[in-house]
Amino acid sequence: MIERVVAELQRILADKGETHGPITAGSLLLDGELPIDSLDLATLVVALEEQTGREPFKAGFRMFTTVGELATLFDEAA
Amino acid sequence: MTLPAWLHADFTLTDDAGTATAADLVEAGIRLADELPLWGRAGMAATGARAILSALLATEARQTDLFLIRDATTGAEIGYRIEGEAVVEVAPDAPDGTGLVWLQTSGSTGRPKWVSHPPEALRGRIAAGQSHARWLLSYAAGGFAGLQVILSAAIGGHHLLIPPDHAGIGDLAALAVTHRITHLSGTPTFWRAFLMALGAETPPLATVTLGGEAADQALLDLLRAKFPEARLRHLYATTELGTVFSVADGRAGFPAAWLENDLAMTAQGTLAVRRDGRLQDTGDRIALVDDRVLFRGRLDAMVNIGGVKIWPEEVEAHLLQLSFLRDALVTTKPNPITGSILLADLVLADPETQALCEPLVKAHLALLPRAARPAMIRYRTALPTGQTGKKSRMP
Repeated sequence: MIERVVAELQRILADKGETHGPITAGSLLLDGELPIDSLDLATLVVALEEQTGREPFKAGFRMFTTVGELATLFDEAA
Repeated sequence: MTLPAWLHADFTLTDDAGTATAADLVEAGIRLADELPLWGRAGMAATGARAILSALLATEARQTDLFLIRDATTGAEIGYRIEGEAVVEVAPDAPDGTGLVWLQTSGSTGRPKWVSHPPEALRGRIAAGQSHARWLLSYAAGGFAGLQVILSAAIGGHHLLIPPDHAGIGDLAALAVTHRITHLSGTPTFWRAFLMALGAETPPLATVTLGGEAADQALLDLLRAKFPEARLRHLYATTELGTVFSVADGRAGFPAAWLENDLAMTAQGTLAVRRDGRLQDTGDRIALVDDRVLFRGRLDAMVNIGGVKIWPEEVEAHLLQLSFLRDALVTTKPNPITGSILLADLVLADPETQALCEPLVKAHLALLPRAARPAMIRYRTALPTGQTGKKSRMP
């Protein structure tokens, strides 16, 4: 799942024409480390939902801060 | 120099240009008032909270109308109407010299709607509050919510910190921590991102305010846990009606007991608000769950994406300006970050040309505000149709 999240993030960043350092499980999503905002993150979640058919946020927002935590939420929603 | 009665002498504002006191802003307002007749739409470079506050003071002194023009990139521009002459391109039909503040509603394709408020009505629901409060502005300065934050700080005699243009959520979280911000108001979308961007350190928030979108219970619980000392409240406000009510019990929706007098449920299941003696339908669908009224989206096709009102049909019509598209369908999908998100299904006249068309579609969508751009585009050979033969808008 991590690879999938990283690949999707890289696609979104490439779309925006942004350059960035390596993305790992520990990469923080919204603290300024990666040049993305809420709408980019929403796009990431939609793409992952579409690809996996899983909906970890069906019951509402759940807290996550890193790439790895988001991947875990999708893993657990199996 | 005399300050207007509503402006607290202790108010200070800090932005890129430094710190200004209430007296500085009044002085800037007087200078602006002198310059007013020279101003035109083309010359209105002034943007941001500082300029808006000075303009508010200037137009109040002159009893001229103030127009806050929404701009996708700068947040807002300022316009005036002087002696009956319209200096804004899209001037609403209004009597001259009434000292009204005109705001534009947000929209999907830049078709703005003007709504006017007497300045005293904008200030009406604001109480003086506690001293030594420090606010951070998270909204665009020229919108209804931004103006409420600016006026709250000005009336209360608080300090207001304006983040630099293009500050990201990470920057805002860092500013809130370093400047020990005590009062913060934002959309639920803002708060979800803010929680995610905060590190181990948290600002000493005394008041956490949510508005612009329906607040869900999961988010309210997270905020309560993160800021146990803070007063947590969510507002129901629209650009047209202003602030209607504020809910402070930490639960989503509002108490069912409020559905009398000034609030009512219409026959279509939407919320109506009494204004000037008559009920006005908000178009927001509500449902009664035990002792609570919960929000259930819109009766019309409008969708709220991170606090921005979007009409999927308008995005669809925008896409269909592209001659190589045979058909387009824009649907909405619930999203944990921004409440909702748009999806687009496109049918090309010639499927062979997809590689060629994709960048053109992207460039065409870039003309729309961020929130109106579909998060996902799927190329199809045909669109799903409902039983009526209409395009099916369900995702």
